[in-house]
Order: sequence, then C-alpha cells, then structure tokens
Amino acid sequence: MSAIIEIKNITKEFKVLNRREGLKGSLKDLFSRDYKIVRAVDNISMTIEQGEIVGYLGPNGAGKSTTIKMMTGVLEPTSGEILVDGNIPYQNRTKNAQKIGVVFGQRSQLWWALPLVESFKLLRDIYQIPGKDYEEMLALYRSLVDIEPLLHKPVRQMSLGQRTLSDILAAFLHNPKIVFLDEPTIGLDVSMKAKIRTLIHALNQEKHTTVILTTHDMGDVDALCRRIVIIDKGKMLYDNDIEHLKRFFGSYRTLKIRVAGDLSEQADKIQKEVPECSVSADEEWISVLVDEDKAGVMEVLGKLQKTHRIRDMQLEEISTEEVIKKIYEEGVK
Amino acid sequence: MRTKKYLTLTRAGILEALQFRLSFLVMVIGNLLYLIVVYYLWKAIYASAGTEVVNGMTFTDTLIYLVLATALFNFMEMYTVWEIGRNIQSGKIVLDLLKPMDYRKYLFWSYSGSFVTQFFLTFLPTFIAVSVVTHGAVPLRMNLLYFVISVVMAVSINYSIDFIVGTICLYTESIWGINIMKQVIVLLLSGATIPLAFFPETLKTVMYYLPFQSIYNAPLSILLNGNPQPRTVLVTLGTQFAWCIAMFVLSKLFWKVSLRQITVNGG
Amino acid sequence: MKRKGFRFYFKIYCKILAQDLKSKMSYRADFIISTIGMIFTNISGFVSFWILFRNFPQIKGWDYYEMLFLYGFSLISITPVQCFFDNNWSLRQYVYSGDFIKYCFRPINLFFYYQSEVFDVKGLGQLAFGIGTLVYAWIKIGLGFTPLMLLKITVFLLTASLIMIALQNAAAATCFWIQNSFYVLDLAYRFRDYAKYPITIFSPVFRFVFTFVMPIAFIAYYPSLVVLRPDTVPVLSWLSPLIGIAFFYVSYRIWMFGAMKYSGTGS
Repeated sequence: MSAIIEIKNITKEFKVLNRREGLKGSLKDLFSRDYKIVRAVDNISMTIEQGEIVGYLGPNGAGKSTTIKMMTGVLEPTSGEILVDGNIPYQNRTKNAQKIGVVFGQRSQLWWALPLVESFKLLRDIYQIPGKDYEEMLALYRSLVDIEPLLHKPVRQMSLGQRTLSDILAAFLHNPKIVFLDEPTIGLDVSMKAKIRTLIHALNQEKHTTVILTTHDMGDVDALCRRIVIIDKGKMLYDNDIEHLKRFFGSYRTLKIRVAGDLSEQADKIQKEVPECSVSADEEWISVLVDEDKAGVMEVLGKLQKTHRIRDMQLEEISTEEVIKKIYEEGVK
Repeated sequence: MRTKKYLTLTRAGILEALQFRLSFLVMVIGNLLYLIVVYYLWKAIYASAGTEVVNGMTFTDTLIYLVLATALFNFMEMYTVWEIGRNIQSGKIVLDLLKPMDYRKYLFWSYSGSFVTQFFLTFLPTFIAVSVVTHGAVPLRMNLLYFVISVVMAVSINYSIDFIVGTICLYTESIWGINIMKQVIVLLLSGATIPLAFFPETLKTVMYYLPFQSIYNAPLSILLNGNPQPRTVLVTLGTQFAWCIAMFVLSKLFWKVSLRQITVNGG
Repeated sequence: MKRKGFRFYFKIYCKILAQDLKSKMSYRADFIISTIGMIFTNISGFVSFWILFRNFPQIKGWDYYEMLFLYGFSLISITPVQCFFDNNWSLRQYVYSGDFIKYCFRPINLFFYYQSEVFDVKGLGQLAFGIGTLVYAWIKIGLGFTPLMLLKITVFLLTASLIMIALQNAAAATCFWIQNSFYVLDLAYRFRDYAKYPITIFSPVFRFVFTFVMPIAFIAYYPSLVVLRPDTVPVLSWLSPLIGIAFFYVSYRIWMFGAMKYSGTGS
C-alpha cells in the first residue's frame, strides 16, 4: 500500500460579503460593502492509501466540498500542503484531472442532449484512453450492470437513478486512480441505492481505485467504507475505522414516537421519566436517544407506554448528525 | 387587501433591483456610449444634408427623440419573453400557475418594481438632463400630461405584445429565436431606432396601421409637439387606446386557449 | 500521457462540434426559428442602414457604397464570435447555478473546453449576409481584384474578429465577480452596432476613446482602410492584427483568472 493523497495542515479562507437586510440595508449595500473572513477548512491533515474507500462525512457547510475542490485542483489552499499522486493539484490541474474522476451531486457532467455512448466516446478522446482499455472497461461495465438500454438513451431522458449510474460509469471510464463521489445516492429509491453501492464496491475491487465518498446517508457508509473522516465547521472531528466508531455508538438507537398533546411539552415530561436518555422534539416526532448498554429500547418503550398514549413509533440507527452531536458532547476515546 | 398583495411584489422587485449596483453603472455607461454614437452619427448626417430641417425634424428634435426613445426602452424592456420562456422550460410555470393570481397579472406586478426603479433611475434623470441641456427645447405644457397617459398605454401595449410572444414559447422551445424576432420588429417598426419621419412614405403608411408605432412613436411625438391640435392628440391617444384594448384581449385569449391546450395535453 | 498539442485540440474540437450539431438537430424547431430570427436581425439592420443613408450622397467624405463596405466588413468580423464563442452567453447561468464546476475536472484547457461546447450555426447566415454586402460594395466602388487584396482582406478580417471575441470574453468573464453580468455582456454586444461607422464622424476625443480605450474602431474601420483607401493607410491599420492578437490573449487570461478564482466559492 502506498499513499495516494497526502494532506498536511491545509486551511482555506474565503472573503464573504455581509448583506444587510431590508430596503434600507440594500440601499446601504449600494454604497459600502462589508466583508468578513470565513475559514471553511481549518488545519486538516490526512493520508489516504491507494485502493481505500473513505467516507467523508459532516453536516452541510462543514467544508467537505471545499476540501474536495482542493484535492481536485480547482481551489488553492490558503495554507498547507496537498499531494495527489505526487503532484500539487492546484499547480497541475490538467495533469491531476487525468488521474481523477468526479461525480458531483446531482450535477450531471455528461452531455445533456447526447446518448450516453456518445458522451463516452467524447470522454475517450478527451482523456486519450487507448482503444483496448476503452473496450475492456466497457466489457467490465457490461458484466456489472445492464448498460445496453442506457447507452443509446439521451441523458436528458434518463431517470435520476439512471443518470447517477451513468455519471459514475463516466467518472471511472479513464481508469482514474481516485474517484470523488459527492452524494451519489441522494434522492434515489432503496433498490437503486443498493445497485449503485454494489457498482462502486465492484469497481473499487476490480480496478483498485481509491474512492472518496461524501454522503449524508449512513447506509452508504455502512455498505462501502472501512474508514471514515468526519469534519464539522472546517475542523477534523474524527479519522479512524468505522468499527471503532460503531463500537462507541453502536449501542445507540433513536426511538421516535408520536403522542397526543404539544410535542415539546410532552418531550420535557418524557425527559424526566427517562433521565438516562436524551430527548428532543421537532414538528412531527419526539426523538429519544437510547443507549442500549444502560437500558433496552423495549424497556424504555414499556416505561413510556404506561404514562402516554403512543400513536406511532419508529426505530432508527443513529444518524450522522447525532454522531457528530455526540462527539461534541463526549468526544471519542 | 388586493392592492397590498400586488404592492408586496413591487417592493420585492425594488429590493432585487438594488442588489445589482454594478449593473446600474454598466447600464449608464452603455446608454452614454450609445448616445454618443447617435449624437455624432446624426450630426454627421445633418451636416451632410446641408439643411437645418430634414423630414420636418431639426437636429435637436431628432436627438431628443432618440435619447428619450432609449430611456423609454430601458424603462419598458423587462425581458418578459425570456422570463416566460425560461419558466416554461424549467417547469417553474406550474408553480406560478398555482399561485392565487392570474399569471398575466402576476408577471406584470412582479415587474412593476423594476418599472418603478427604472423610471426614477433612468428615465427621469435622462428627461431632466435633456431638458436642461437643450435649454427647454422640450415643451413643458399640457403635452406632459398627454405624454404620461400615452406612456401608460405604451407600457400596456408593449407588455401585451411581450406576453403574446411569450405564450408562443408554450409551443416551441426556441426562446432566443422568438425573442430576437420580436425585439427586432418592435424596435424598427415602432420608430425606436430611427424616427418614423425618416421612413419612406409607403413604409410609413403601413406602420401607422400596425400597433408598434403606439409604443415609441406615439408618446414621443406627443411630447415633442408643444402646440398640438386637439384633434391630433385625440387621434393619437385614441389609436393607442384601441390597440391597448385589442392587444389586451388578444393576449388574454391567446393565453387562455394555449393553456387549455397544454393542460389537455399534459404539458 | 501524450502531449496535448494543436492537433489534439483540433481533433477534440471537431468531435465536440459534431456532437453539438447532432444535439441541435434534436431541437429542430428551435434551430429553424433561431435561424429565421438571425435573418430578421440582419434584414432589419440592413433596412435601418438603407433608410438612414439613402437620402444622403455622402457623409463626411464617405459615400453610400463605402459605408456599405464598412457595414459588410463589420458583419463578417463579428461572425466568429457568434459562431465559436456563443457559449459565453450561458456562462452567467452556469456560474450562478454552480454547474460551472463540471468544466473544471477535465484534463484539457478549461477555456477551450467550455467554448468548444457550442457552435452557433446561425452565425453562418450572418456571414453570408456580410460577404454578400461586402462583395456588392466592392464591385460598386470598383476596387478591382488581386490575390494580394484577397489575402489582405482575409488576414485583416480574421484579426479584426479577434477584437470582438476579446471584448466578449472579457465581458462574459465579469460574471465571475459580479452578479447579473448580463448587462455587461449586452453592452459588449451592442458595440458591434457601433463598429460599422467610420470613426471620422466623431470628435477627436471620442476618436481617441474608440481607438485606445474601447477599441471598437478596430472591428471594421481601421482594418478595412487597408483595402478601401490603400493610398492613405494609417499606421494603426497595419497594427490592427497585432492589437487583435494582444487583446485576445489578455481577454483569455482574464477569463481563466476569473474561472479559477470563482470555482472555489460556489458549491
């Protein structure tokens, strides 16, 4: 194993315009502007090995896409060092681009009006993929997914799932060393999610491609990543095995219930009844975070059933947001 | 509180317009540049003509006419066709149709904010500047009142035409092509780029029978005429009013028919 | 990895262009309407020109056919920007929506990749119009014809077109810094209308401005003098190819600088 990405103490700062509110504010903005410095990425370091699948997690605005943009050479760090396969990406953007593949959220990078196969041919020329490698890759794709119906369909007529699938295939086409996947399963149904996870896993195994995966979906992480990195507000919170995190948080479940009456009032009541859990409420649900080492979910549910009429309930794994909240509250050993 | 609902849209439009201070600057530079070119071009033309008055207009008349036509253009051009076309392509139109207002009205009132800002930021300063520079060559009598009435009708006719052309976008995907055709026809046949007086006789006659001259030529000729015959004013405003009604009805009908077709065919 | 030289880029351009044409064909109605729109624009431009100048034998020493020559020259020299750089008009939307980022991940020159994506066929109609006008004026003036003249006019047309391209690139690139840069682009677009007049109609101050500050005079006036007035060609005319290339290069740097600066901020 050798390091493919090395990041040392990178920081990225942006200058952001403070807009004033209301009619008066707009008039003022017309004449004077007020900027503030925002630190989107704050002193982050990590090393990623060839062939790893790394889950890169964090809430919205945490600095995930800024970091990825720095790794792809689109952004220059304010300070710190990045090496991607021995190159400084910002200084050799096109050289770096040859070695990476990118799928950016729901923004298709394919030619909208063209059938997929035409996009592939253009990419073959742009990336100068030798004919033999191109054919081999297509053969591999055929063995993994049913691409024939997709190949001759214009991208604009595809469903979101088909488009995402096509985008992922396009990103792997030139056999890059690293592929960045930003929210690849967002908005997809369960079966499509599974299909895409299988595909990513297979391509990683087959081509030994390094995959950096940004997502909000813990299911993606569970299915694909062995290592996860969590950042929030630009700072690194966690960088370790997923097993390690699971051992720590695995015993947590979220019990969601709906009861009669005002939810936030009821939530306060429930908090007093089960002091070992942390209780919160939104417009729809009361969430009770249960640590199963201390008390089982059924036990808690039983307790609550005596005093409340529970109309509806759900049981969920702990979410990324809750993991981050927990890390803030207690830290990770 | 119907008016309040519309005034909210106006206010939002003003706020939006003010966000773009640079575009104002650029627009002013663009207009200045255009006026400089127009000034020297017509100066050269008049110098070559050898007479003070060409086709019944002096150099000053022509210049005032063209300057105010530009100001009117900036004030009236709201890129309605683009807006409708883009809303159709992106599917946003469905959301707009769900709003508890007539779409034609909704769009108009969304623009009204721009109308207000543009009026104060471009038309009024231009008008004042022209009056000062030409030492009162623009007569300031009853014609001002006629002018205001005339402009209101011009705005309405212009909007109706835009709306009709925008409705065509429901049938074709070509926003650019349709918009450019409309713009070219309106600007040339309304006398916005060259005063109507300069056109050959036959062309002029044709143009008086078309609605376009009611947009630029009508208000400007009323404004520049300090001592109009009551009959002239009546004919001009009357023609405008007739077009106003006709285009309004036409645009409403066309929209209604088109929309029915769309909803039947499921878009 | 192989070096990416001119041949590589040329091959890629042809491939992307072929694909672009294919996808345009899938929007046939739009294609036809846009082409008609373009023809309308040219006809209306021509009609305006004719209405203005038909009454006057000459303007400041320029007769009707010489003016027509300039007009044709300017039409041809603004064709390349229309055909090859039309994607500049969409830049604003790509930047605003954040979709621009997708152009940044390819291992080829960003500017090239972006511009190659659209080839605007309608520009060819304009080219035909321009060539027709130029040839007609050429014959009417009785300029005669030698291979050297053909070479001269070709070289000067090509380099003159670089000025318009440069102006548009720079104008489009402003969207990386300001919102609603449409006005800037629109302003640059309007320059093409001013390019067709001989610069001698302006006062010395504006002659200077249009030569050195906003080099509109290099789009048609200076380069066409080489053929039109071969006995009295000013130095600036001979310099116009160099100026065209220099401007193009500067605009390219501005565009790239803006693109790299921007791509980080929008997510």
